[in-house]
Amino acid sequence: MTSTLSWIDEITMTQLERNPYPVYERLRAEAPVAYVPVLGAYVASTTEACHAIATSGDFEAVITPAGGRTFGHPAIIGVNGDIHEDLRSMVEPALQPAEVDRWIDDLVRPIARRYVEAFESDGRADLMAQFCEPVSVRALGDLLGLKDVSSDTLRDWFHRLSLSFTNAAVDENGEFTNQERFADGDRAKAEIQAVVDPLIDHWIEHPDDSAISHWLHDGMPEGQTRGRDYIYPTLYVFLLGAMQEPGHAMGSTLAGLFTRPEQFEAVVDDPDLIPRAIAEGMRWTSPIWSATARIATRDTTVAGIDIAEGTVVILSYGSANHDTGKYDAPTAYDLTRPPLPHLAFGAGKHACAGIYFANHVCRIGLEELLETIPNLERDTDADVEFWGWGFRGPTALHVTWEI
Amino acid sequence: MTQHTVTVGTTTVPCGPDQTVLDALLRGGVWMPNSCNQGTCGTCKIRVRSGSVEHNASPEDTLPPTERADGFALACQATVGADTVVEPPAGEQTAATHVLRDLVATVTEVRDIARDTRRVLLTLDTPLEFSAGQYVEVTVPGTDVRRQYSLANPPSEPKLLELHIRRRPGGVASDGWIFGTVSVGDRVDVTGPFGDFTFDAESTGPMVLLAGGTGLAPMKSIVRHALALEPHREITVYHGVRTAEDLYDVALLREWEGQYPGFRLVTCLSRETGGDREGYATDAFVEDVASAKEYTGYICGSEAFVDSAVKAFKRRRMSPRRIHREKFVSAA
Repeated sequence: MTSTLSWIDEITMTQLERNPYPVYERLRAEAPVAYVPVLGAYVASTTEACHAIATSGDFEAVITPAGGRTFGHPAIIGVNGDIHEDLRSMVEPALQPAEVDRWIDDLVRPIARRYVEAFESDGRADLMAQFCEPVSVRALGDLLGLKDVSSDTLRDWFHRLSLSFTNAAVDENGEFTNQERFADGDRAKAEIQAVVDPLIDHWIEHPDDSAISHWLHDGMPEGQTRGRDYIYPTLYVFLLGAMQEPGHAMGSTLAGLFTRPEQFEAVVDDPDLIPRAIAEGMRWTSPIWSATARIATRDTTVAGIDIAEGTVVILSYGSANHDTGKYDAPTAYDLTRPPLPHLAFGAGKHACAGIYFANHVCRIGLEELLETIPNLERDTDADVEFWGWGFRGPTALHVTWEI
Repeated sequence: MTQHTVTVGTTTVPCGPDQTVLDALLRGGVWMPNSCNQGTCGTCKIRVRSGSVEHNASPEDTLPPTERADGFALACQATVGADTVVEPPAGEQTAATHVLRDLVATVTEVRDIARDTRRVLLTLDTPLEFSAGQYVEVTVPGTDVRRQYSLANPPSEPKLLELHIRRRPGGVASDGWIFGTVSVGDRVDVTGPFGDFTFDAESTGPMVLLAGGTGLAPMKSIVRHALALEPHREITVYHGVRTAEDLYDVALLREWEGQYPGFRLVTCLSRETGGDREGYATDAFVEDVASAKEYTGYICGSEAFVDSAVKAFKRRRMSPRRIHREKFVSAA
C-alpha cells in the first residue's frame, strides 16, 4: 500500500528520528490523517485529528506494531474493555493525586538533592546523564520496588526498550526492516526478568508497599495474585515510558528555557513558575512524541478523511502540540504563551495514568537543581541535540556554572 | 456608589467604591503578597472567582488581555463593582499580617545627610506595627500626591518613621516639599505598612545586604532588627554610591562594627577612590565571597542595581528563595 502523495512515500525512519518536525508540518498542512508507508500505518498529525481519534467512540486502543513486538500482550496502552479496566485499576491507586501528594516530596526531593550534590562542585555536567535521567528512574524505581536496581541499569533498560519499541520501519511487504533493535530489546527484557522474577517470587509471599507488590495482590481473591506474564507487558510500559519521559520532560524544559535567557532567569528567581515552564517544555518537545495508536472499530471520518474499519492510526502528539491552528509560533519555547491545554499526556480513556506523578517529579527535580545551582548556563561549546520520533528529548544537555 | 465586600478564603472584608482590593484586604488584616503597588510587578495577581472588578490602570504588560479573560486581576489596581470572591496568588497562603492603617505624623527633624539626600523623621501619634524592611506611603501636604518611602528605623521604634529621601530635580515630593517647603511641626498623612521586602525571621547563617544609594534605608531597619535578635550574627552591608559625598550614616555603622563582632560595612564608590572599595558594590561582593550558598541576601536600589545584584548573588550560588529584593520604582 502506498499513499497518494509521493513525498510521503519517500519519508524514512532516519529522517523522522533525527527531526520529525518538517515532515509533520507538511502532513498537518496537506494530509492531517495520512498513510505513511515506512510506518505501515496512518498517522494523525493535527491537534484536531489526534484529539478526535483519542476520544472517539469509533476507535479503541491498539499498540503500535513495533510496540506490540516489544512488549507483548496485554500491555496497558494497547488493550480495551475489561482487561484495560483491570490494568488501570492495578496501576492507578499509587498514582492518584491525593496518594501522590502524601509521599512525593519525601520520595523525590532527597533523590534530586543527592544527584545534584554529586556534581555541584564540578562546574560542568551533562544534565541528561547526570541528573534528569537518574532522578526520573530513581523516583519511579523506588516507587515500583526496584530500590536495589541501580539507576544506571534502569537507564540502560529504558534506552534499549525505547529503541525496540520505536523500531517502526517496515518494507513494502510490511516486514520490519531492522531486526537488531528488537533483538537488543529482547535481551533487555531477559535481563529485566532475571532481576524482577525473584522479586515477584518474594512479593507473592511477602507483600509490601511497593507498587509492583500492589499490582500482584490488589483486588485479587485471598491467596491469589495476578500472573507475572499478565503483569510484565505493563511493567515494560513503566520501565520504558514512565522511566524515560520525566527525564526527557526536564531536559526539554531546560533546553527550551536556555533558548530564552530572560525566561530562564525568571524561573530561577521564582520557582513558582516551574510548573508552567514544564508544561511549555512538554508542549514544545513532547516526550511521548508518537508512540501510541488507535484502531478504527467501524468505518468513520476524522478531520474530513474517511477511515475504514480496522485502520491503525498512530497519534503524533508531538506534532499536534506544534499545530499552528492552536498555537502561535509553536516552534518557539515561550513560557509566557497562553497556557492552553496540550496533548503531551494524550487524551481519552488511555490518557497517561502518571500525569500527576510525572509533573511533580519534574517540578521537584528542577526546583532542587535551580536552587542549588542558580547560576547554571548552557555550555555553548556543545549543541543541544534532540533525537527521536516515538519518544523525543535531548540526547545530552551540557551545562556549566561558576564555582 | 455603594460599599461592597471582598472575600478571600473564609475572610470577608468591606471594600469601598474607589478602594483597591489590596487596600481592602490589608486593612482587613488579610495578608496578600504585594510589592510595588503600582501594577508593574504582578506580585498581587489574584483570580476573581465571582463578582466583578474594574482593572483601572492595570498595565497590559503585567496583566495581558488573555489573563483578564481568564479572571485574573491585579489586587493593587482593581476595584470592585459587586461583592467579589477572589483567590490569592498561586501557592500563597493568606495569613495574619500587620494591619494597613491611615495615620497622622508630625515632622520632627529634617537633616541633610549626604549630597541631595535628607533624613526626615516623622513622629506618629499612635504606634504602627510593621516588619523590618517595609515601607509607608506619605501624602505630600496640600496635594493628592503620594510617595513610597522605606522605613529605616526598626519595628522596636513603632512611633518613629525614619525616611531617607534623595532629591529628584522637579519632583513634587522631593524637590518641591522635602527640599523645599517642609518644616518641623508639619502634619503629614501616612498610610502603611506595605511591601513584602522584610527581614526573613526563619533564616539562619550569614546575611549580606547590597544597598544602592538611599536603598540603605530598609537595610538599616533590617540590620538593627537582626542584630537585636542575634548580636553575633555575621552581617555585611555593601553600600554602593557614586562618590564619597553620597555616603551617609557611615559613622553610625562603623560604631556598630565596634559593638557587634559579626557586623561589617563596606562602602563602595563607583566614581572615585576613598571608600572601602573602588567600583560597584556587586563586584565587591563577588570578589569577597567565594560561595554564598548558606547566605541570605537583601537588595535595595534602582532597578538596574537590583538586577545586577541578583545576578551577583546567583553567581555565588545563593539560593534564589533566600534572595530578598526591593526595587525603587520612580513615581509615574
